Amino acid sequence: MAWLECSVEVEAEAVESVSELMASYGYNNGVAVDQPVIHGADGPDYRYDTERPVIVRTWIPVDHKSEDARAKLEQALWHLSLLRKVGALKVSHLEEQLWADAWKKHYTVQRIGKRSVIVPSWLEYNPQPNDIILKLDPGMAFGTGLHPTTRMCTQLLEEYMPTGTRVMDLGCGSGILAIVAAHLGAKEILAIDTDPIAVEATIANAAINGVAENMKIFEGSLGIGNSLGHWLSWEAPDVPSGTAVHPESLQCDVIAANLIAKVLVFLADDMYAALKPGGLLISSGIIADREDEVALAFTAAGFERLDRRSEGDWVALYHRRPVA
Amino acid sequence: MAKKVTGVIKLQLPAGKATPAPPVGPALGSYGINIMAFVKDYNEKTSAQLGSTIPVEITVYSDRSFTFVLKTPPASDLLRKAAKVERGSGTPNRTSVGSITRKQLRALAEQKMTDLNAVSVEAAENTIAGTARSMGIKITE
Repeated sequence: MAWLECSVEVEAEAVESVSELMASYGYNNGVAVDQPVIHGADGPDYRYDTERPVIVRTWIPVDHKSEDARAKLEQALWHLSLLRKVGALKVSHLEEQLWADAWKKHYTVQRIGKRSVIVPSWLEYNPQPNDIILKLDPGMAFGTGLHPTTRMCTQLLEEYMPTGTRVMDLGCGSGILAIVAAHLGAKEILAIDTDPIAVEATIANAAINGVAENMKIFEGSLGIGNSLGHWLSWEAPDVPSGTAVHPESLQCDVIAANLIAKVLVFLADDMYAALKPGGLLISSGIIADREDEVALAFTAAGFERLDRRSEGDWVALYHRRPVA
Repeated sequence: MAKKVTGVIKLQLPAGKATPAPPVGPALGSYGINIMAFVKDYNEKTSAQLGSTIPVEITVYSDRSFTFVLKTPPASDLLRKAAKVERGSGTPNRTSVGSITRKQLRALAEQKMTDLNAVSVEAAENTIAGTARSMGIKITE
């Protein structure tokens, strides 16, 4: 089946009524609205761009009625354009695709470290000696391996993480770093995230990769009474939400924190407290413009810097809590 | 984390009945996100509201992971139900298809306020009244 892709540029105020119209002609009553946004500085923040027009689209299957539907839609939009700012209808032909699988072409087997290789479930891979295979499908949690910040964290873990240690993956997302740490021989792993979807994804991915055994995975953040979360303790998985446990009780050997600059600065003291003397901090997700800010906060917290990586706009830092 | 937003797309879909066909496939395909994961999750979360249109706002991040938030049914959906009409007018500037009362308008505005980012109920009323006008639905006292 082929499709007519019908799109129209409209002012923000007209989106609802144009969507209504398009829905009555489109397949499955479906409408897509591409919302122009202005990106924030260093992370998930954005706001709507009200200066640019919004594009509303719908799809009509090509058959003996499609020409008639297109003409009616065009006419109805013209009538609406007398009341609102509505552009002319643009129509293009679209060939049928296997939509359910087409997105998979964006993914291949990815080597993200010297040893770590991500293999999506629909692909085959013959591992090399020493390879760490990460069975991961992209989804709703950050950490598909496509982002430089994840790759840099993985490489630093491979290089510096001692075996037999207690590791925290702070802001675990898909759980990718926790899984790498497990394969690298961590004795205990704590993976936490403030996003419940990430927690679910990490639990599922740890199981798929057969490394759930020594892993504790919870919703929460580090630090006490701060706005980013609450928590936490190795020993009490059913601590009621909001319970504060001193980071000092965690006694981690390694923290891997792939966050954003603002949050790393905010958590610097708590991460220091959660590490044993001599403990290691791998931090990533730092946009280059804010590297100095993060470095200053870490120095102020008492960390000493051991290494630094950068890729594109992104920086990862490697620090140690001094032994004494 | 280290999320950077690469796209924000709103879709209007029938609750519980999303498929990889249009609009989902072509709207999300170019972003390279896991369409099947989205479809499954959307249908699960909206299955209790079969028969309604449940808009969804999808945010795509720079590593092609994504999140989504469900919204309240579009004002046009609620207006059609309130005015008890099948569909809006094709020629709203000439023909009206029905009407709702001021009281009904207020109730719809209250229901939609958060999704419309309106500062007051009056502002939400204005927006919804505008949608009503462009559908050929009149507001009566």
